[in-house]
Amino acid sequence: MAAPPLLLVTVFVAFPIVVAVAYSLGHVGGLNATIASIAREQHTVDAWWQQTFAAYGDVFADERFLRDLGTTVLVTLVTTVAVVLLAWVIALYLRMSDSIPAKVLSALAVVPMFIPVVIASWAILTFYAGDGFVRTIVQAFGGDAPTLGYTVVCITIGMVWTQLPFATLMIVSGVQGVPQPLIEAAADAGASFGRIVRSVIAPMALVPTVIAATFTAIGTLGAFTVPYFTGPNAPTMLGVEMAGYFTSFNLPQQAIVMAVVVFVIAAGFGALYVWANFRQAQDAGRV
Amino acid sequence: MAVRWVRSALGAVAVLALATFVLGPLLWLAAHAFATSWTFPNLLPDGWTLHWWEEVFADAQLFSSVRLSLAFALTTIVVSSVLCLPAAYAFGRFDFPGRRTLLIGLFATNAFPKTGLFVSLAALFYAFDLMTTFTGVVIVHVLGTVVFMTWIPAAAFAAVPRSLEEAARDAGAGPARVFRSVTLPMALPGILVAVIMSFLASFDEAQGTYLVGAPVFYTMPTEMYSLVLNYPRQVAAVFSILLSIPSVALLLLVRRHIMGGQLAEGFQIR
Repeated sequence: MAAPPLLLVTVFVAFPIVVAVAYSLGHVGGLNATIASIAREQHTVDAWWQQTFAAYGDVFADERFLRDLGTTVLVTLVTTVAVVLLAWVIALYLRMSDSIPAKVLSALAVVPMFIPVVIASWAILTFYAGDGFVRTIVQAFGGDAPTLGYTVVCITIGMVWTQLPFATLMIVSGVQGVPQPLIEAAADAGASFGRIVRSVIAPMALVPTVIAATFTAIGTLGAFTVPYFTGPNAPTMLGVEMAGYFTSFNLPQQAIVMAVVVFVIAAGFGALYVWANFRQAQDAGRV
Repeated sequence: MAVRWVRSALGAVAVLALATFVLGPLLWLAAHAFATSWTFPNLLPDGWTLHWWEEVFADAQLFSSVRLSLAFALTTIVVSSVLCLPAAYAFGRFDFPGRRTLLIGLFATNAFPKTGLFVSLAALFYAFDLMTTFTGVVIVHVLGTVVFMTWIPAAAFAAVPRSLEEAARDAGAGPARVFRSVTLPMALPGILVAVIMSFLASFDEAQGTYLVGAPVFYTMPTEMYSLVLNYPRQVAAVFSILLSIPSVALLLLVRRHIMGGQLAEGFQIR
């Protein structure tokens, strides 16, 4: 019964990824023949057991790529930290108080999940643009706000906006799952609010937090739509840059190299996720 | 007394800040759909009009993209349900060797950037003659739903208490009856959340749709890309509102289940 989706993913995702990685290492036969016949500045090998890292050399020698890589990693880190912090504040507020503001906050944080990313990106760009709301309001009070549209800051704002719902749902659910008697026992023993969060709630909500952080990081690393709409032409994120290398510069091999680099970084975050799940299973005595 | 006052003031400020951050851009864009023009730095547009709505509704191309988007989204959830729900049941109920690895493997495929994937997927699609076909676009959309459609219902199936099923069996119900009357209704909220998430994922997909579908199939999100570049901002605003309607309607429908933890539960592998 488990076979159909696995088969689907194997044929249409895993297999193409393997083919793509082979292409990045210089293999231009088989399915890669069509792309290879029109690509520029391609590095190839003659036999299946050989490989060349020349395309990787090209890409890593390219200053533009290095700047984009730095931007991508920076945006990913800032977005992940910001999203997790924001989600934690909302989750703690909701846990400690049953008030209307707490409920409204958690509902607001989920709204972006239901807005198509294309629209969100466009809306965020117009909001922070030169003639956008932020500058209009500041102007009305006699100030002068910077134009954030088409900047890396705007990309980060857009990424936080789109990633917030998932992290909030995960972390709220983790924090709500901490049994009330544990919190009360700690409070009775004289623990301060900070101490309760640090010693009781945080350890118990660690796994959902790691899951939220991993998904946020992976989602941000490969992002295309948000940086495409809201970011500058250069430096930009690798998701946009690899599309440009493929369609505009006609350098598919180098585009694939970038995809592999992002994949390797994402796999690093993915390992964290696997570790967190394993630890949870261990705590529950299932392993 | 003073403490309580400070606390509610802080709560109000937090709500206002998050509302501005989340809803501000959407409302600002929505306002443009009714504006004749908008001169910076005026707080209000120069005038109000419904002209842009007439322009959108008069454009047959835009209208057909709406229909096409809905057709793709509905086909996607049907295909994805048929392929993934039995697997979700297997993952949720049976402890077969390699189960965890396979679940994580399904997810790992998501970590490869879509752009890189589509580049090599294109080669495969040419070989299978799937380029610019309805099937080809559906495959791309279904790929984006596999994780939701497997993980969330798997958690929902796993959470159905076995004792209830046993009780039904003791009362003389056959396996099919037990599934229909006990297991399925109890897992339904999780399945519903997965279906909605898949619908949204399909409705939202632009990059792969453009690569595989253009120039034959233009859905709403792919249309949005060219709208933003080639039309007045107000037309894009009108289109954005139209494109958001199904999503927001679905949000209201499943809000309770998603907030209730069905989605969070689905992403913790057990």
